[in-house]
Amino acid sequence: MKHIDILIIDDETKFADMLGRRLSLRGVTSHACYDGQSGLDWIKSNPGTATLILLDLQLPDIYGTQVLARIKSIDPAVPVFIITGHGTREDETACLAMGASEFIHKPVNIDQLTTLLNHARGEGK
Amino acid sequence: MNRQPLIIKNQRWLDFLFHRPNIHLASFQTISNYPRIWIISILILAVTSLSPLVMATFINNRLIHKSVDAELVLQTDRVTSNAKRSMRFFLEERLNALRFIVNELPYYTLIDNEHLAKILGNLKLGFGGFTDLSIIDADGSQIAYAGPFNLEGKNYKTQSWFTQGIEQDSFISEVFTGYRDIPHIIISVRSETAYGRHFLLRATLDTQRLMDMLSSYKTNVHTDIFLLNHSGILQTPSTIFGKVFTTAPITIPAFSDTTQVITPEINKENAYVIGYSYIDTEAVTTPFILMVHKKKSDVMGTWLNLGKTFNWIIGICCLVMMVIITLVSTFMVNQLYLADQAKAETMLKMEQSQQLACIGQLSAGIAHEINNPLALINETAGYLKDLYQYTGEHRSDKEITELLDDILEAVSRCGTITSQLLGFVRQFDVQISSVDVEKMINGILSFHKKETEYKGIHVTTIIAPNVPAIETDRGKLQQILLNLINNAFQAIEANGCLDILVSHLPPKKISIEIKDTGCGIPEENLKRIHEPFFSTKKEKMGTGLGLSITYGLVKKLQGTIRVESSEGIGTIFTVTLPVKMQKEEKA
Repeated sequence: MKHIDILIIDDETKFADMLGRRLSLRGVTSHACYDGQSGLDWIKSNPGTATLILLDLQLPDIYGTQVLARIKSIDPAVPVFIITGHGTREDETACLAMGASEFIHKPVNIDQLTTLLNHARGEGK
Repeated sequence: MNRQPLIIKNQRWLDFLFHRPNIHLASFQTISNYPRIWIISILILAVTSLSPLVMATFINNRLIHKSVDAELVLQTDRVTSNAKRSMRFFLEERLNALRFIVNELPYYTLIDNEHLAKILGNLKLGFGGFTDLSIIDADGSQIAYAGPFNLEGKNYKTQSWFTQGIEQDSFISEVFTGYRDIPHIIISVRSETAYGRHFLLRATLDTQRLMDMLSSYKTNVHTDIFLLNHSGILQTPSTIFGKVFTTAPITIPAFSDTTQVITPEINKENAYVIGYSYIDTEAVTTPFILMVHKKKSDVMGTWLNLGKTFNWIIGICCLVMMVIITLVSTFMVNQLYLADQAKAETMLKMEQSQQLACIGQLSAGIAHEINNPLALINETAGYLKDLYQYTGEHRSDKEITELLDDILEAVSRCGTITSQLLGFVRQFDVQISSVDVEKMINGILSFHKKETEYKGIHVTTIIAPNVPAIETDRGKLQQILLNLINNAFQAIEANGCLDILVSHLPPKKISIEIKDTGCGIPEENLKRIHEPFFSTKKEKMGTGLGLSITYGLVKKLQGTIRVESSEGIGTIFTVTLPVKMQKEEKA
């Protein structure tokens, strides 16, 4: 499987697509999954492929924190950025405790995101 | 600076009378009309406690007056009876002596002057009170005379006493002066000579003796005893009405041969009692009425004075009780008012914080829902802009790029608003850690370095040396200070001043005072600045959430916030925080 930079797991399909396109314009490869289960499946079938995972909390099938826990059980090393419009303080504390690297509120600043990605790449190397 | 503290807490005694009505508080108060409660309380206490006292005093007064009246009547009755008996005895005794003389001695011995003088001597010796004796025949000529005056040969035919005396067996005259010009009484008995001709044995009685006898019944100076004739002329001197022969201004009481007491209904000041009796002997009626006059106020003075003193004492007691009742009522009603006020304040605060929490939750919900479409707009507009920038098409069309920038800026503003709204919900969790206030303030001020230099603002930070590091929620305190300092910078014009003063309020509090020389807040806005969405920054960046969040945060940190402001002069925000914040039990 070809290596990608970012895996986007978000049920807002248009948002995920648009973010993907903008990232690709900046030379960042990405893949989008629109619910938790498909995201997990993708990770299982493509282990170690993504440098970074962007994870929404309000997913239609599995709540984001559970998805995070499962991602960490599959691949504890991959950095996961939570990106949400709904984040409460509890969610933030819980996610950071469970190993999420960042907790970002929507709307996202694309430049900020690419900076964070570069950090993650640097750490990965 | 004209300071007008928002919260005024002076606890005074008459708060409930002079408080400024507060519409917001009034709806939470149990009682609305405290002055009325106060007056009712005073009235009820006064009536219940004073009425028994007043009634007892009234009854006591009535009893005193009644018993005084009864006692007075009894006394007067007794004195009158006794005096009347003596008077009657005095006259009867002397009349009977004369009767004995005319019955015992033959006429010819009586008309002998020497013998008559001897009889007079014996009478004076045996009874006393006699002045002279004379024998007068039926024509009124004086036949014989014994006594100090030279009245021999006088004719009394024209004298009224003679005409009355010759028609009756016995006779007692009024007091009169007669030929000798000295007040005296004549008593006479009629008898017959051997030839059947009437003659009179007449004696003159000394009035002094009578007066002495009467005055012996005067028990005290307030009692007046005197004789009147049937037409109201004084027969003996009276201490009240004057000398003998003056007319006493009293209505002659109706005839009674027994002792009577009358109590004329005159005003209470000069009330008096009169005892009287018409004096009759067995043989003849006399022209005398015995009068005993007693002044109530004088005779029963001691009793009445006692009553007066008692009334005074009761009056003073009532006054003292009224003062105590008023003070106690005032105190109690004020306490009630203060308690009610405190309750109303708490309830108002509760309602405000509930409203705030409600609004917070609602806003947070809206913010959440808006964030997703906002993110989509952001990405879509961003992508459009990217297309222009990265593909090179329409790169020259600056207008479209600018429009896209406008959209992105608007989205960013919306993002600020939603994140502030989310701050409402965030207020409810607290993480306590040790915070150095000075460092935090300096950190915040460093954000404004450029603005400070550009506007020429004088920033002074004074940290009292004894201010300790405090244990509180770092994030919340930072947001509070950030909001207040931001506000101050926005208010300050060029060359203004910003003073930040941190001081220790021993033992357990610190205060942070942020004072600016900005535009100030009008009084009507002061009450509203903590309401969410209240903003005066119309066209600019204001969301109207800053201060309401700040108020909520300060409360969350168990502190208080106070604002004093004068329009055009400046504003002072004072935040008071506990040195060591207590962990809250989650409900």
